[in-house]
This record gives sequence, C-alpha cells and structure tokens, in this order.
Amino acid sequence: MSTGSQPPETALGRAGRWGLTAFAAAGFVYLFLPIAVIVVYSFNKPRGKFNIIWQEFTLDNWKSPFAPGPLTDAMVLSLKVAAISAVVATILGTLMALALVRYRFRGGVLIGLLLVLPITTPEIVMGSSLATLFISRGVQRGFVTILIAHVLFCTSFVALTVKARIRGFDWNLEDAAMDLGASPWRTFSRVTLPLITPGILAAGLLSFALSIDDFIITFFNSGSEETFPLRIFGASRTQISPQINVLSTVVLLGSITLMLVGVVFRRRTDGH
Amino acid sequence: MTTNPVPPRLSGGPLLSRRTLIARMSALAAAGVVGPGLLAACGSDDESAGGPSNALWHDNWPAYMDEETLDLFRKDSGLDFKYTEGFNDNNEYFAKVQADLAAKKSIGPDIITPTFWLAARLIDLGWVQEVPFDNIPNAANLVPQLRKPAWDPDGRFSLPYASGMTGIAYNIAETGRELTSTGDLFDPAFKGRVGMLLEMRDTVGLTMLLTGQDPTKATFEGATEAFSMIEDATSSGQIRQFTGNDYMDDLATGNYAACIGWSGDVLQLSLDNPDIRFVIPDEGGMQWSDVMVIPSGSTNAANTAKWMNYLYDPENAARITSYVGYNTPVEGVQAVMAAGDEAQQALAKSQLLFPDAATLDRLSVFANLDPEAEAAFDERFSEITGA
Amino acid sequence: MTSRGGEDRSKRSAGIVPYGLLSPGILWLLLFFLVPLVTLGRTSLSVKASRFDPNDIRLTWELSNYTNAIGDYSEQFLRSFAYAGIATVACILIGYPIAYVIAFRGGRYRNVLLGLVVIPFFTSFLIRTLAWVNVLSDKGPVVSAIEYLQFSGLLESLGIMSDGRLLSTHTAVVGGLTYNFLPFMILPIYVSLEKIDLGLADAAKDLYNNGWQAFRKVVLPLSLPGLFAGSLLTFIPASGDFVNAKFLGGPRNTMIGSVIQDRFLVQGDLPTAAALSFMLMIIMTIGTLIYARMLGTDDLI
Repeated sequence: MSTGSQPPETALGRAGRWGLTAFAAAGFVYLFLPIAVIVVYSFNKPRGKFNIIWQEFTLDNWKSPFAPGPLTDAMVLSLKVAAISAVVATILGTLMALALVRYRFRGGVLIGLLLVLPITTPEIVMGSSLATLFISRGVQRGFVTILIAHVLFCTSFVALTVKARIRGFDWNLEDAAMDLGASPWRTFSRVTLPLITPGILAAGLLSFALSIDDFIITFFNSGSEETFPLRIFGASRTQISPQINVLSTVVLLGSITLMLVGVVFRRRTDGH
Repeated sequence: MTTNPVPPRLSGGPLLSRRTLIARMSALAAAGVVGPGLLAACGSDDESAGGPSNALWHDNWPAYMDEETLDLFRKDSGLDFKYTEGFNDNNEYFAKVQADLAAKKSIGPDIITPTFWLAARLIDLGWVQEVPFDNIPNAANLVPQLRKPAWDPDGRFSLPYASGMTGIAYNIAETGRELTSTGDLFDPAFKGRVGMLLEMRDTVGLTMLLTGQDPTKATFEGATEAFSMIEDATSSGQIRQFTGNDYMDDLATGNYAACIGWSGDVLQLSLDNPDIRFVIPDEGGMQWSDVMVIPSGSTNAANTAKWMNYLYDPENAARITSYVGYNTPVEGVQAVMAAGDEAQQALAKSQLLFPDAATLDRLSVFANLDPEAEAAFDERFSEITGA
Repeated sequence: MTSRGGEDRSKRSAGIVPYGLLSPGILWLLLFFLVPLVTLGRTSLSVKASRFDPNDIRLTWELSNYTNAIGDYSEQFLRSFAYAGIATVACILIGYPIAYVIAFRGGRYRNVLLGLVVIPFFTSFLIRTLAWVNVLSDKGPVVSAIEYLQFSGLLESLGIMSDGRLLSTHTAVVGGLTYNFLPFMILPIYVSLEKIDLGLADAAKDLYNNGWQAFRKVVLPLSLPGLFAGSLLTFIPASGDFVNAKFLGGPRNTMIGSVIQDRFLVQGDLPTAAALSFMLMIIMTIGTLIYARMLGTDDLI
C-alpha cells in the first residue's frame, strides 16, 4: 500500500483503522474457536463412551487414527466417493467450460443457466428430488447414487471455476501451434493443456472438498452406505468418540498440507 | 432405584487398534488413488446377492457391540463380516429401506436390529424371512418370556438382541433432589432443562402412565391427555429438546437437569459422572426390546445363523453385555459374569442390568398399534416435536 | 482481462464440436437435476396409496398437498427465511470488514490470511456445528462469561438468551448458520474488493478527504457484485439447512429443512416433502431473480 503521499490521518481515522483491524482479528478468533475445541478434545481421555466432558490429557487417541471400525470405513468410503466424483466432475465440467469459452454456438445462455441452477438450489431440494427420482424408478440407493449426486453438484462448480479461470487466456497460441503444423492432439497436449491445468487442478480440489464434506444431499441418497459426515451424524446421537476429533484434525492437517503444496507449486510455476 | 456405582469399564477400548497405523494409511492411500481397484471394491457390496458367499452384514445401533467380539468372531468364523451402525432412529431407518423392501430387493444388510414395534410391522408386511433356527442351537438360551413375544407371536421371524428400560434420568447436581415421578419433568423449576425422546412409544408411554393410562392397551383417545401435557410443556419452553440417544450429551454436560432416558445409557454415563442417576418412576416405566430380523432380500442364511449362534453363547453375550449395559435376552449371562473378574461381578449384581421380578413388574410394553392408530399417534407426535 | 469483443474474436464456430464437449455434462445435469425436479413436481401432486410402500404413489393432481403444507408449515417457512436473512446480514457485518482488511491491509500476507479464512472449513460441517454445541452449552465458556459479566439480564430482555441459556434457542441456530456460511460471504466480497485499483481508492480518499465517504462512494459500489454473490451463497443454503436447527435449536426453532427431512426421511411422507421442497425451490428462484433485478446484476455468479 502506498501511504507516503497521503495527507496526515486524523485521530478519528486512525482509531477507525485500528478498530477495523482489531475487529478482523476478533473475526479470526471467532473462525477458529470451534476448531480449537475439536483439536483439544482429540486429546481428551473420556472415561465412558462419550467424549463430552474434559477428563484428562492423553495421546492415546492419536496412536491409531485409522483404527479399524465404522469410522475408518466411513472415511475410506468418503475418500473413494470424493476421488471418483472429483475426477468425473472435473472431466465433465472442464469439457463444458472449454466449449463455453472456446466456441460460439446456439443455446449458450440456456446452458449457463443450467450450470448455475444447481448452485442456487438449496441442497435439501436437490437431495430430496434426486431421492424421489431414484425411489420412483426403483433404483436402490447406495454407492452409485451417492456418486451420481456428488458428480452432479461438483460439475457445476468445476465448469464455472474453470470457465472463470480460462476466460482471459490468449487462445491465439493454439492457432499458432496449428499453423506451425502441430496435430490437434499435439496442440492440445502441448499448448492447451498446460494453459488450463492450474484451473483444472483448482476445480478438482474444490470438487474433492465439496464432496468429502457433503451431508444433506448424501443423507437423502445414501441407502445403507455411510460416508464420513453421515457417520458423524450417527455418532452425534450416541457415541462421539475422540477418534472423530482425531480424524477431523487429520483431515484438517491434510488439507492445510495440500494447500501449502499448492502455494509452493504455484510459486514454482510462476517463477518459470 | 438408583444406579449402583459402576466400576471402570471392563472391555478394552473399542477403538484401539492392534494393526499398525502404516497398514491403514497405505490402505487409505490405495483406496484414494487406485481407480480400478476402487470400482472392484465397490462391487463387493453386492456380494450378498449371489450364491453362497463368505460375506455377512449386520446393521445395528451405535455403541451396541464391542470391538473385541467382532475381532474374535471374524477370526473364529473366517467370514468377511461387515458390521455397521446405521440405526439411529427406527422411523428413519424404516423410511430409508422401505422402498427396497417393498420392491422385494436386497437392502444390503443380512441382519437388521429394529425395535420391537418396527419388527412387528416388518413381520406383518412380510418383509422379513424366517430365522434359520435349525442352525442356531444356542437359541435354546433365549429367556422364556421372550420366546413368543407380542411382536412375533410364533417367534419364527425374530431373535431378540437386547432389551432395556425407559425411565427418568437425572443429574442430581442440577436437580438438587432425587426424582421419583415422570411428573417431576413438568416441574417449572426445571424449565428449559428437560429432555424427552423422539421414540414416541417411550415418551408418550411414560406420560400415559403419569396420566393413569395403561400403555399396554394404548388407544389414541386414551393418549389425548398425555399428548396435551407434552404439547403444553413444549410450547411453554419447559421441554428443551426431543432427541434420540444424544440426550446423554446434554445430561452429562448439565444442559439437562432431567430427561426421559434408557437404562443402559445411564449405566454407561454414570462412569463419567456419578451424579447421573436413573429411576423407574413410581407410576411405572416402559420396557422395550431391539430384535434381530433378516430382510427378505438377504441370501446369506448360513452365515447369519453362525453369527446369531455366536451371539447367543453366554460367554460372548456376557462380554457384549458388559460393554453395552442393556438387558441380555440370553440365559446364563448373569452366572458367567458373577464368575468373572471383579468389575463383571459388580455388574452382575446391578438391578439395571439384571432386573428382578419386582422391578420387571413395574414395566410396561407399549401396545401393538394397528396401522391407523399408529398413523394417528405418529402424526400427533411429530406435530408436537416441531418437524 | 480481455474485453468481451476480444473474447468473441478468439471464439471459433466449429459446428458440432462444442456440442460434443458439452453433451456428457449436459446429459448428467438433465438426467439428475432437471428430470428429478419433474419427478419432484409429480410427486408433490400425488397421493400415497399405501402407508408403507413408497413405490405406490399415484398422480391425482392433489393440490391439497400444497394447501395442507402451507397451512401446517407456514410457520417453519417464515422462520427459515427470517433465520437465513438474519444470518446473511450477520455474515455481511462480520465478513465485510474481514474481507476488507485482507484486501487492503493484507499486503503480502493476503494469501495466508485468505487461507486462514478457509482452513476452519476443512473440518466437517457437522463437526464444526457440534463444536458450537460444546461452546454454547449451559456450562460452557460463553454462557459462563456472560454470567460472570452479569449480562444475562440484558441479553434476556433483548431476546438473545432465554431461561439463562443460549443453546437450543433461536440465537444459537442463527449463530450456527452465520458461522457455517461465513466463508461463502467473505470470499466473494474479497474477490470483488481485490479487483479495485488501490490507486482509485486512494484517489477517492483524496477527493472526499474522508475515509468513510470514500468507502461509501467508491469502494462499496464496486464491491456490490461480491456482496450480491455472497448474500446468495449464504442465504440459499442457510434457508434450506436443517443441521443447525437440529443441533443448536429446540422444538420451537425447527426450519423448513427440518420438516422436509422429517417428512421424507423419517415419516416416509413423500408427497408432502415434495410439495414443501418444490415450494422452497420456486420461492428461492423467484427471490433470486428479483434480487438480481434490484441490484441490476445480470451475471448470476
């Protein structure tokens, strides 16, 4: 920020500035308050089955975060669902984004609307309508229906994210490569793909995050399968074990690591 | 009657693993990364649909089974045994599976564990199959009073898993006095600090007893007064929340002073907090059973029989009972526990775990409602609970 | 950024190629988004022929499903919009200053600060809500602090506390909604603030010689698209939520999502659930369009 050329600040202005910064700092405390509770309780040693009251500090819960059991099974299922739906949604969404940005065709506005609608529809409407379809068609709800639902809400996000990211690119490079005699495939893999990869990766990660945390839509379409959020919902009604806190903290740390990797990766690619 | 002080928990922590972290991590990594392997793994859920297999799936209530028993059985039987905790609420579970059951499709699990009234409905609808008693010799250990229960008059379609009592649970540090009656829940001193259960038969049954009605012969008319009492207490803010098992959090943290509760939970909870007590109200309490039934789409009778037989072995049942804290339907468990270690011996004397005849006499089982009456009860109850 | 004209020039018209690229995604959206909405509409006009068989649903143009649903649940509808509305305003009040500080005062720590906004939301939605149950409980830190500072009387009279508690009240539900959807407010506002040329902001300050005036006349109007997107991304999911009401509210704080969830997943009453869902969607769509028109924004997201 350039502050050098500004007129001297009034006392009121300075107080406002400080007040604003203090407010934002308090905002961050607010954001992290429940997270602190989650992490702290992962070190609790409950005497009964309920991790509700602080008893004493222990590291035991951390010795085997992936101990076999329903919670780990649910986590594995969630990872599977998130991985598959992120891949499928990223492919579907990226293709749509490419078409929308690169080509002129009829019906573009309608398609844009179709992409936005799933995002502006409350989750409970999407979840219940999809479940209604499955029930009326006699489709058994389970793994496949969870995937269908997740791909659905991820696709829109991917298409819009990728679209926003690649809108400003200089596509003449593509034409230049073709003019120089590169085959369409070679052009795509050597020119187009490197251009759009960061956007696609970001969209894929977003899909993964959306999928792994989805509760409401999955709740309607899961049948007898149980994803991680569903297991927590079940556990919240009976047995909130420290393992839930441990796994949540692991997910948190994993996400932070991924984010840091992303930052480093971006720095490097920017450097070239 | 209040809970006996209960010794520290007997069975090992259910969540402690004997496998290494690394093995699990690599399994996770493989699951997250290897595409084709994934799809193959997903397909394995449908195994139960084809011929004799090694698979078995039991869907049960949470905190209803110790990890050690599962390990032992898996080792013993060599079965690929899937155990899930998909039951949170009977109505919710029914709504989840009814479409498939009605269409005579497999719902996945080979054994499910509804509460007695839902089992009765499933049996009536013909959506469950006979229990393969021929291959369950240990079923002879079933206590006589549950052999031909009202929900399964021939005793052919179900096998009890566990029973329990519904009464008043309270935190004496918050109430400041012992409670003796369901009427105490309506005491204005506890305004906003009283909980009731979403399990309609427990909440309405207990309140009916308070109003002098007999829930074993419940009619919608007979329940009118009970419903109005609950409704008034809800709109006045006396009742803070209607919940499933999660009332235990609120009781333990002191959000609730008192609530309707289940015996086994309170037994467990008193480990954390000796101030938490359970009482069968003077007017009487409710009794219920969760029972195992086999959905009609399951084709795993042989494996199902192995597991049920295992559960009905008194040694195994004693281990499970020590962990779960509910009343076992298996005869001989009390004797096994009385001969067990110190902690088990103490549990063997608990009136909550092994109620005597005088205690059982004060309990009622909610009437078997016909569909119209049930619909009326459900409708009225969900109107009150606000959703 | 390229201008619209430049973008168009780079676009090709290549016959069926775009349709080929679009078709898998479109197919998915049609099959699993639009078709289900049609089924939902059908179901909302049907009767359940048998109490226990959800497959046995007959289309009888049962408009009474709607009139009954409005009669029985208008309270929950209104409550949902009120809660979601208050939560959205709260998100703006909390989120705007945070976004502003990150965008204009963050300097080279901008990305780190943005990361800090997002990180809490890498834990599961449910776990976060359950953590609030812990924080707001009767013996928890917040209530204890209020009691220590003797604010409870004031908060009771303001209707924020009731019977000396926060948990299982409307305050807790709105608070949970605010917390859970806050990043959906902060991020879009940040994006629109980030685009504002710092020189422009400084020039405005010089011009008005007053930070507040400069903000009101220059920065705020330029950040309206972000505010618009953030409000939608907060209000829409908040009004359809039932998780916060379930964990943080009591029987008098249920929202329309709670009812739909209960009707559908607990009572197995698909026609009523479908009618409620359908109404919720229609209200949301119309509301969004009016809101877009009011703010003069054509680009929805």
